[in-house]
Amino acid sequence: MGILALYIIGVAAACALGMMFIRRHTKGRPTTYSNLSARRKAEPYLFLLPTMLLLLLMFGYPLINSFIMAFQNYKLTAPSKIRFNGLENFQKLFSETDIWLIIKNSFIYVVVSVSGQFLLGMTLAMALNKQFPFRGLYQALVFLPWSFSAFVIGLMHRWSFNGEYGVVNDLLMKLHLIGSKIAWLGTPGFSLAVVIMAMIWMGIPFFAIMILAALQSIPADVYEASYIDGCGPIRRFTKITLPYIKPTVIITILLRTIWIFNSFDLIVVITNGGPANYSQTLPSYMYTKAFASYDFGLASALGVLLMTVLILYVTLFLKATNYNKAGNFS
Amino acid sequence: MRNKLRLCSVIAMLAIMTFAFAGGAAEKQETKLRFIDVSPSPTRQEYFTNTFEKFKQETGISVVYESVPWDDAANKLTVLGASNQLPDVMTTWAGWLGQFTEAGWVVPLSDYIGSTKDEYASTVTELVWKAEQELYGNIYTIPDGMMVKGVFVRKDWAKEVGLDLDMKKGWTYAEYFDAVYKLTDPSKNRYGTSFRGSRGAFDPLFVYLESLNGGSAYAADGSSLMKNQEAVDAYKKWMGLYLDGCAPKDAINWGFVEMVDNFCGGLTGTLINDSEVTATALANMKDEQWMVMPMPRSDKDGKIYNTVNSPYAYSISSSSKNKDAAWKLIEFLTRPDNNIEYCKLTGLIPIKTAVGDDPFYGPNGPYAAFVQQLNDPAMVVPVAFGPFNYTDMHQGMMHEEMQKYLLGRQDAQTSLFNVVNELEKRMKAYLAENPGSAVEQPKGLL
Repeated sequence: MGILALYIIGVAAACALGMMFIRRHTKGRPTTYSNLSARRKAEPYLFLLPTMLLLLLMFGYPLINSFIMAFQNYKLTAPSKIRFNGLENFQKLFSETDIWLIIKNSFIYVVVSVSGQFLLGMTLAMALNKQFPFRGLYQALVFLPWSFSAFVIGLMHRWSFNGEYGVVNDLLMKLHLIGSKIAWLGTPGFSLAVVIMAMIWMGIPFFAIMILAALQSIPADVYEASYIDGCGPIRRFTKITLPYIKPTVIITILLRTIWIFNSFDLIVVITNGGPANYSQTLPSYMYTKAFASYDFGLASALGVLLMTVLILYVTLFLKATNYNKAGNFS
Repeated sequence: MRNKLRLCSVIAMLAIMTFAFAGGAAEKQETKLRFIDVSPSPTRQEYFTNTFEKFKQETGISVVYESVPWDDAANKLTVLGASNQLPDVMTTWAGWLGQFTEAGWVVPLSDYIGSTKDEYASTVTELVWKAEQELYGNIYTIPDGMMVKGVFVRKDWAKEVGLDLDMKKGWTYAEYFDAVYKLTDPSKNRYGTSFRGSRGAFDPLFVYLESLNGGSAYAADGSSLMKNQEAVDAYKKWMGLYLDGCAPKDAINWGFVEMVDNFCGGLTGTLINDSEVTATALANMKDEQWMVMPMPRSDKDGKIYNTVNSPYAYSISSSSKNKDAAWKLIEFLTRPDNNIEYCKLTGLIPIKTAVGDDPFYGPNGPYAAFVQQLNDPAMVVPVAFGPFNYTDMHQGMMHEEMQKYLLGRQDAQTSLFNVVNELEKRMKAYLAENPGSAVEQPKGLL
């Protein structure tokens, strides 16, 4: 509590000093060219200040604290034994028998979910970009999954894929596609597949909304010119549509990858990581470690690892996709 | 200068606000207790709120009812404990006591109980409290009611396949396994057992393994008694129920809810569980569909090894500012009239001797098989996992190792030994850290 109080005071003091500094350099001086220029330079920082303050208050402290805990023996059940233990948590993490299985699951989960959501979301957006009767109603219906909570979607999939009473087995058997019931949630491979399906189903609308908005912002005259020039549909898609929507696609893929990589709610509700960690991913494993064994030190080490992976991913992804130049047609 | 003054005043204000929040609100004049229930249901909530109203009329002390769903209870209480925010009175579970006493979150109750000890049934004094004194050095809980395990069986299916089940005669583990195989008929969508493959799966298996060692799990020096071929064979036999198709494949992920749902829903023929499930069976099944058999006798020595415990128990948190008032509330809740009303509602056996011979718990009542076991001289309560904190194992390793064997990822010996080696390590560490402590011994009731 004391550290938190000191942190809040520190943040407040830093902000106050920042504001004083800006005011000292701008207030009460004749509006000469140099003063005006200093004010303009300070303006963005002033606009950013409320957001920065909120971020520092809401995320800064937990972030710093979890970084510290990653190097501590921090078990909630043994508060008297909290001490720094160097890299012990990281060593423990990589000596866990299932850690490579969990890392593999995380990779599959993220890559398949993001690809599936992107491809299906893109298709949906292209379809909705055309005019057809009841388009508004259809659009509202297909965007519905995005408004459901992950808990509801998780429960829905858990029951649909129930090995004994689930509607999926029933349908597949009636269609003579399978001869006997499949234990979807109790079979390695299938359990992760069900979670991925639920994640794709939930995330398609987000991609569709974002891409549709980008598609609708493409000037119609560019397409008209391409028709006059006799451009074919594939060339039109690759040379006009894709370049125009590229910034949106990049940022959407980036955001969804981060969100999916960090999400664990669907996994916890549908399979709880089972059987035997076959559907466990790094964040769900972190949740299990934090709230099953109350080993916050180990969970924080996992958190630091996740953060490092995501920072690396974001840097490489933005570099590889040339994001700064995306949408630049000059 | 003005700016500096402003800055100072902002910092001072923030500091005052922060420490004011940290210090908490001023104490109130009226005694008000917080009570948390970790297994809420409309029935329980109604019982507690009515009883608290009666309590207020008698004592003038008001009680605020709080609840947390069972699945989140361990997390919530742990977080509340770590932040010194636990309510005055809590319903706790015996499995958490190692963690709670280690962290100092609950207060000893021996002095409060004092001379009233004789008012309690022997299941409370000789089992629950004796075990707590042995494990944690004091009494920390007052059980809300007692429960013992039994085997719920589909009476109608048993009749169809020609099984002659007699509650009074009981059965052995060999007979139980045989019955499970006979009750399995996938063509009719019938499985012999509600196999537990997820959280809590190791509990009944551990008791079965203990039945081979007279109810013990450790030698005097803390070494495990389950690292031998006999235990591995028994482990394979138990797991064979799943591998041989006597349970649906999904059962690898089943916990308490799925087991009970699938028994009451007509998918499985037997269910090993506590007497508290009786209330669910009474509400959802017809009388001619089900019965309860005692837990099987050991194939080795003919004794019934069965756990007797309370589903939940009342305890006082060490952060309570009104510990005496909290004790008054527990005394009120466990008063015979209130306790029997509670036990009937929740499917438990009362904790005080003064409740007399209620026909509900008699030889023709729904709890007959459970009460019969408590009066059986051959019943022995085997030892628990240990006095150390095993919450992490219970929520992970124990069932995960079982699942790895069921999925063919490792052999039976590796799966079993991984768990018992870890238990042995913790038991030996406990004995080394607590000079003078000894390994718990199995207890007879009579």
